[in-house]
Amino acid sequence: MSNDAAPILARNPLTTELAGAAVTSTPMVSLRAQIGQWRHEFILLGAIAALFIVVGAVNPMFLNSANVTNLFAGNAYIAIAAIGMSMVIICGHIDVSVGALIGVLAMVSGSLAVNGYSPWLAWLIPIMIGVSISAFVGALVAYVRIPSIVVTLGMFSILKGGLITVTGGMWLSGLPADFLIAQYRFFGIPSTVWLMFVLTMLAAMWLHGSFSGRTFYAVGSNAEAAQVIGIRTAPTVVLAFAMHGGFAGIAAVLFATQMQVIQSTVPAGLELTIIAASVVGGVSILGGRGFIVGSTLAAILFAIINSSLIFLNVSAYWLRAVQGLLILVVVLADITQRRQVR
Amino acid sequence: MSTLSIDPRRLLRHETVLVFLLAIALLVLSVQSEHFFTADNLLNQGRLMTEVSLIALAMTFVILTGGIDLSVGSIFGLVAISLGVLWQSLGLPLPMAMIVAVMIGGAAGLLNGLIITRFGVPPLITTLATLMLYRGLAEGISQGRSVRGYPDWFLQLAQGELLHVPNQFWLLCICAVAAAVILGCTAFGRAIYATGANKTAAWFSGIDIRRTQLWIYIASGLLTAMAAIIFVSRVSTTRSDMGTGMELEAITAVVLGGASIFGGHGTVIGTVLGLALMQALKNGLALAGVRGDGTIIVIGLVLIATSLISNSFNRGKS
Amino acid sequence: MKHFAKSIAIFVLAIASSSAFAATWTGADDLPAQPLSCDATPAPAVARPYDGGAPVNAPSRKGKKLNVVDVPKLIGIGYFNATTKGIAAAAKELGTVKVRTDGPTRANIDEQITFIDNYITSGVDGILFAANDPVAIAPVLKRALSKGINVVGYDADAAPRARQWFVNQAQFNSMAKVLIDTLARETGGRGNFAIVTSTFTTPNQARWIAEMAAYQARCHPQMRWLETVEAQEDNMLSFTQTSTLINKYGDKLSGVMGMTTVATPAAAEAITQAKRCGKVAIVGMATPNAVKPYLNKGCMKSAVLWNPVDLGYAAMYALRAAADGTLRPGSTSLKAGRLGELKVVNGSEILLGAPYVFTKSNVNGFDF
Repeated sequence: MSNDAAPILARNPLTTELAGAAVTSTPMVSLRAQIGQWRHEFILLGAIAALFIVVGAVNPMFLNSANVTNLFAGNAYIAIAAIGMSMVIICGHIDVSVGALIGVLAMVSGSLAVNGYSPWLAWLIPIMIGVSISAFVGALVAYVRIPSIVVTLGMFSILKGGLITVTGGMWLSGLPADFLIAQYRFFGIPSTVWLMFVLTMLAAMWLHGSFSGRTFYAVGSNAEAAQVIGIRTAPTVVLAFAMHGGFAGIAAVLFATQMQVIQSTVPAGLELTIIAASVVGGVSILGGRGFIVGSTLAAILFAIINSSLIFLNVSAYWLRAVQGLLILVVVLADITQRRQVR
Repeated sequence: MSTLSIDPRRLLRHETVLVFLLAIALLVLSVQSEHFFTADNLLNQGRLMTEVSLIALAMTFVILTGGIDLSVGSIFGLVAISLGVLWQSLGLPLPMAMIVAVMIGGAAGLLNGLIITRFGVPPLITTLATLMLYRGLAEGISQGRSVRGYPDWFLQLAQGELLHVPNQFWLLCICAVAAAVILGCTAFGRAIYATGANKTAAWFSGIDIRRTQLWIYIASGLLTAMAAIIFVSRVSTTRSDMGTGMELEAITAVVLGGASIFGGHGTVIGTVLGLALMQALKNGLALAGVRGDGTIIVIGLVLIATSLISNSFNRGKS
Repeated sequence: MKHFAKSIAIFVLAIASSSAFAATWTGADDLPAQPLSCDATPAPAVARPYDGGAPVNAPSRKGKKLNVVDVPKLIGIGYFNATTKGIAAAAKELGTVKVRTDGPTRANIDEQITFIDNYITSGVDGILFAANDPVAIAPVLKRALSKGINVVGYDADAAPRARQWFVNQAQFNSMAKVLIDTLARETGGRGNFAIVTSTFTTPNQARWIAEMAAYQARCHPQMRWLETVEAQEDNMLSFTQTSTLINKYGDKLSGVMGMTTVATPAAAEAITQAKRCGKVAIVGMATPNAVKPYLNKGCMKSAVLWNPVDLGYAAMYALRAAADGTLRPGSTSLKAGRLGELKVVNGSEILLGAPYVFTKSNVNGFDF
């Protein structure tokens, strides 16, 4: 992704901004500054809280434990997939095939279970396959220098068509009960929520705390500069994609085990939802502490918005318009926030 | 100065690869099926590919500036619905309804452009949100109803032909030539390349990048609107779900055509070749007896392979 | 902090004002509903002149081998896997037909038109279709007729002049009656119910819902319709939407009606996971395989469908007969292999028969 004129500013196509702020990684020490860096997450939390309050006031059933559990547990897989996507986006790339990948891996997982393999194999093998496929994509991007959007657009087609070809369009049913991990509960909390929480925390800590994690930021904001200081960009990108594939695999297993059947078609619009969760979650290479937490919050926020509109009796015809509007509002609010601080 | 805009050597390489691939594809596919390489079929394909092509032309401009427009599919649906509602519910005469509908498409593009330039929201996020918003508006306005019963002259627009060539294909050719001329020969075109290559440098050179960007998003909306009207004429009805998935098709054609997703590199010719290759594959493979899912896989492979080949030629450059 | 509060305030305002768009559902095609009578009186048979289209200069295909393509709404769901099975079985029985099924991976009219267009060019003799949109598909089907290709539809019709015959699984009002009567039986004739459909613009579903509304108002006025939600043909979405409905209405929800073969089992799963089996009735269209577990466990009492395998089977026979000329304008019945004589109604429709109700006692005998 080199350019003739040496880039002064961050060349991430997804967040092109005019003001060319180089990434500063000087540690911020003041507490207010620390809190200030979490501003974006506060906006998301505020939106979530606002929704609970407003909708809860209109229809108290919204605050029911069953509903709240459904909201978090049922959409955890999207948040988990968004963690991986965030990593890829931070590195300056994107993956539009993640929805198809999840569809394929879910079918693989279910097939293993139905054919008598132990649940552990049915859970772990798809994750390994996800890592491999995405690592391969990452290699194409990093070493062969094909833009990620091109590779992943191609992979999207290949995976989507492949899924139909291999399954013949047949859905998978008869899943053994012990395979259905998404329906397990530990201490009363569904396993999906635990996974979402733990993985978010681990990912956030790794990305900020470890050297390899921080290289993602460096590579994403200014690959040339990163290379100059000795970071090997290509393996970093491959690592980011590989981890993304792993998270997609975990998401796929959860997706596969939430119901008793697995569909043979790619879930509609899943990749856009995941990408939206990442970017609305604040993934940007200009300053971004705690962003992984942001993408998880954003994924939850989307799910809550969808549910809220039904509880508020918004006419089903206007549902999507209101969803789009709300997302725009959240995004604009965040942008105006950022502008104030500059 | 020339390092910023088109680098003839690099692009010639990619377009050459495309021409080569297109020729091979045409050859192989015509061998596989006798129905493929006939005037009747090729002209028919021209009719079918017009809508995506118009959108891809506009998308080329957008991608050249380093932006992206994911909302085109939704603008497509919104304009289709608007046409129906303006004509049937509001009683406007159909020609006027067509013009107003196109303006609505332009307004949608304008909104995209304003959010991107005035508020600084990245194009990906903006158009992702407006993708939902515009589709939602289409669904809300239509209330799930279709509009039918268009007069014959309207249906003839996209179902008829002039000198044996489908009407809309003439329009497509004119638009493609116009786009190529604007991009290659005008100051506006140079501004687009400059904006895509290096925003800061462009700004310091005195180019009004905000106005440039605003205009290309408006153009995206306008061309999408035209495509939508052609589609309504072709299928003689309106539905709020029209155009879903078109954004990815258009983007595929543009990147297949060699445009860099980061901006600054690309040509209209490349996009046109990319469109031709995609349509040839979709049609030829179907005629050769390959099923729908197989065709999807092949297109994915071709996309990656083309980039691979083109990259290996350009390895020495960067 | 001030700006933070401001953004949240705008957000809250946006949410609150969105509830101004009150929920009403108005049906989608403005055709008058024709509810049947509340008892078992059959609808009066109305003879109508043939209103289908005709192929132009079709070659004589009597007794010759036919090359046929079947283009359903989409591929990859159990329902159309079943119709494909029936079509293939009929082709095998007839012995003189080569048929393949091909179609888009989602219910998109533009893609479906492209598929049909390509097959016209490749020179097929006959086309079977299930339309995503009756008007939008008409131009390409008329093109097929103009090239002398035989065109027969099933499951979802096109404009009559665009095809020769349409094999109808059941009349819309008959389907509505069976669905509402079944739900009424399970909820005791009263109670509130919600509907899960594919999209509001899917023609079949829209007509059924309109007919259901008219019939329910007439014959079960004590039942109350709450709302209708969209779930595309997506498994997970149907599940999520039903869960949301259950959470929203709590004990007030007595029943859920699934309008697609994807929605009904997903809704049953949602009810099972919410531990409301028996408290919330689930009735709807479903293929037997998909609902076997729920029927056997008792969470579901009945599923309504016709036999899609038979539907595809009849459609293939209709196409063969039309190509041979034995089924032509003015015919009053069709000989459809093992299904016997099927009646011609409404001018150019061939009626498969009455809707079929799957229950615990008979569901294990089916495999599709």
